[in-house]
Amino acid sequence: MLKIKNIGKNFGGVKAVDDLSFNVDKGEIVGLIGPNGSGKSTTINLICGVFPVDFGNISVNEQNISSLPTHERVASGISRTFQNIRLFKDLSVWQNIWVALQQDSDQSSGWMREWFGNSKLQKEKIKEILVFSGLGDRFDDLAGNLSFGEQRRLELARAIASKPKLILLDEPAAGMNSDEVADLRQRILDLKKLGLTVLLVEHVMELVMNVVDRIVVLNFGKKIAEGSPENIQNNKDVQKAYLGGA
Amino acid sequence: MEYYFGILQNIGFHTLLGLSAYLLLLTGQLSMAQVGFFAIGAYASGILTVIYGINIFLALGVGAIIASFFAFLVGFPALRIKGLMLVIATIAFSEIVRLYFFNLRWLVEKDGVEVGPDGAQGFREIRYFAANGWEPSHIVSFIWIVVILVLFALWWLDRVKAGSVLRAVGEDELAAQSSGINLTVVKVSAMTGGGFIAGIAGGLYAHSTTYVDHNSFTILLATFAVAYPILGGLKNVFGTLFAVIFIQGILIEGLRFLGDYRNLLFGLLIILVMNFYPKGLINIPIFNWSKLFKRRDL
Amino acid sequence: MSFGLIDILQSLIDGILFGSIYALIGLGFTLIFGAMEKLNMAYAASSIGGAYVGLGLATLFSLPLFLVFLIGPIAAGLISILVYLVSFRLIPSTNHLGSLMASIGALFFIDEVIIHETQGSPLTFPELGIFAEAYFMLGDLGFRGDLIFIMIFGLISMGVIIYLLYYTRLGLATRAVSQQNVAARLCGIPIHTINISTFVLAGILGGFAGCMAAASVGVISPLLTIPITIKGLIAAVIGGLGSIRGAIIAGLMIGGVENFFLLVRGVNERDIYVFLLLFVFLVLRPNGLFGNEINRD
Ligand SMILES: Nc1ncnc2c1ncn2[C@@H]1O[C@H](COP(=O)(O)OP(=O)(O)OP(=O)(O)O)[C@@H](O)[C@H]1O
Ligand SMILES: [Mg+2]
Repeated sequence: MLKIKNIGKNFGGVKAVDDLSFNVDKGEIVGLIGPNGSGKSTTINLICGVFPVDFGNISVNEQNISSLPTHERVASGISRTFQNIRLFKDLSVWQNIWVALQQDSDQSSGWMREWFGNSKLQKEKIKEILVFSGLGDRFDDLAGNLSFGEQRRLELARAIASKPKLILLDEPAAGMNSDEVADLRQRILDLKKLGLTVLLVEHVMELVMNVVDRIVVLNFGKKIAEGSPENIQNNKDVQKAYLGGA
Repeated sequence: MEYYFGILQNIGFHTLLGLSAYLLLLTGQLSMAQVGFFAIGAYASGILTVIYGINIFLALGVGAIIASFFAFLVGFPALRIKGLMLVIATIAFSEIVRLYFFNLRWLVEKDGVEVGPDGAQGFREIRYFAANGWEPSHIVSFIWIVVILVLFALWWLDRVKAGSVLRAVGEDELAAQSSGINLTVVKVSAMTGGGFIAGIAGGLYAHSTTYVDHNSFTILLATFAVAYPILGGLKNVFGTLFAVIFIQGILIEGLRFLGDYRNLLFGLLIILVMNFYPKGLINIPIFNWSKLFKRRDL
Repeated sequence: MSFGLIDILQSLIDGILFGSIYALIGLGFTLIFGAMEKLNMAYAASSIGGAYVGLGLATLFSLPLFLVFLIGPIAAGLISILVYLVSFRLIPSTNHLGSLMASIGALFFIDEVIIHETQGSPLTFPELGIFAEAYFMLGDLGFRGDLIFIMIFGLISMGVIIYLLYYTRLGLATRAVSQQNVAARLCGIPIHTINISTFVLAGILGGFAGCMAAASVGVISPLLTIPITIKGLIAAVIGGLGSIRGAIIAGLMIGGVENFFLLVRGVNERDIYVFLLLFVFLVLRPNGLFGNEINRD
């Protein structure tokens, strides 16, 4: 599904991502871990096209997306959440979803209808997504007024609204207590059940080890290990990278 | 009566100008170019009625389209520059437009008199209304029909997806892009739409004052244009309308007895509001009447 | 109109020398931007305002005229502090729009005070004493003494500022504040004091520039404010916002371009070309001559 081949990104002198390659198969949940500053968020940003790769290429379903602008990558089935929550705080919860909502391809009633038409039909779909994300009762509230946990859920809901095939989560569990982490784990598994592919960047090992099928480990922008959760836990290089400090 | 018609007309132009800046501010673009589009609309539609003898409605439409075409052109470079740089670039744009009309001479003889833009002398005798028997009350009504249409269109925009998308872009461009929004389309459309509104406003202005020159299109007016939505607040269109009435109606007309001290008040007002009500006057509790206009489900 | 090579060179020389004024104003914009990442739109207005105060006080107390050039800059420095207090001090540093608008408010406020006090009519401004009379010839080309003085003053100011910023503790603190605002605060650097010093320094420079601009044309008028504001801003942008030498070089360049087009296209069209220069740069070098990769919101 997602193929990353020898990509690299430099910021000034810093090699944030350095000759990185890995694949994510359809329906898989892959964890991307590594010490702080190892290039995880940069990898996600490269996949989404926040900035271009310096070299290498990225493809989704055999289509090379390395040079597409961000919004076209979304259209080709990639969506994401952010490490620091980035909601449209002055819009209401349902409008946050509305902005991202992609029309079903079978009822393409034209962009005029979509952009300038009545919101009734779309509201039903939005409600569905919000209920699925556990935000059914916050429909009309301002996004900025949600609690931290709800904001994270709304970001996830917004990412789902664009009908992705691949969803990239950047530290979705940061700052959560263990109940919330358990809830999040269930939500990620629900995504998998829907047939979505997930790339999960996370520091919270309690989550990573219990949800992913496979793990890729980064250090200083390079891949230092890849394998099943058990393998990674026992990997000497990985332990060294974490203990030795980045 | 004429006096009150004058004030009403003035509030009308300023509201349109403020709304054109409002549309852009929704997408996070602070544009000082609105006065440039206003000038283009004024001169273009004036030239159309005076030199080509075209009907006012057509002339206003074509003038607005020409203005929005220039706005469209400004929209593209404006994509790459943001924030403060956009402010500087749009100031420069408006000044270029002003100086262009300062130098534009396009005189044509009509019925034995020379008409048309005459450089520093300005563009006189834009007398379509008088020549076609419009009463002052007709002119005022016409202007306000346009104002109400534009107010309604922008109010309605917040009830459809396009409005949410504009605000989303204004709040966080990256998050909007990551939600599948094409920034180029949204920002350039907003700029084009803003140019159109400013262009109509310019056309109305030129025809109801019958005279424009480059001094009508200064940076001060550009500042007024952005100040209305900012002072009124971006919550909805009524903030802009309210700010125009407050500044043009009360501050400038109502306080005539203060003489030219009034001119000090505009600067002072901006300073005070920015310090104490950065989200606009509409957020002051006593002005929460705006809630009345809000539909429940929004 | 016909003109030869000598005319063109002469006009470029006069223009570049006069460009020192834009360079100084651009320098002030850039200094404040460097410290706060904000534009003080009232900057040129405070500079002209300072020159007015200098002239006003000197006339009122019948002081020797050269004192105008001392009082003017000091007054501009004080006006700058006021602008800082009303347009920057209370507005959170994340609210870029707020400070920008408030400083535009201050710009029009200062301008209107001047118009009110002078009934809008221009006043005669004293010339720069012996410098105004000096005129040097180099072959067929002439150099105005007062303008050379202004240029030398501009270059010295640039040297002094670079020294202050890069070789003193105050400068270190200023750069720390501009690069890492929060960290600097945590390190106990008094941000507001630093910002005020930047405003005062920029204000004094601007006051000089304002006085010089008025002295070199012999009159002062509120009509000077907007053009000087815009040209100073363009100098700062073309130089690369935040770059000191960039502002100086761009300012001189703007002076040259302005005077060249004055010669070939006349006074009414001249500024069009100066402003177009900005767009040429925005397309070809959006970060300016010496700007680094910046993404400002
Ligand atoms: N936009 C940027 N400009 C400059 N440097 C950047 C930028 N983004 C990231 N970097 C640098 O690239 C390196 C990798 O950063 P990145 O954010 O990808 O790390 P990370 O693995 O996500 O870390 P964390 O666990 O803290 O989120 C860091 O050294 C960081 O400072
Ligand atoms: Mg990260």
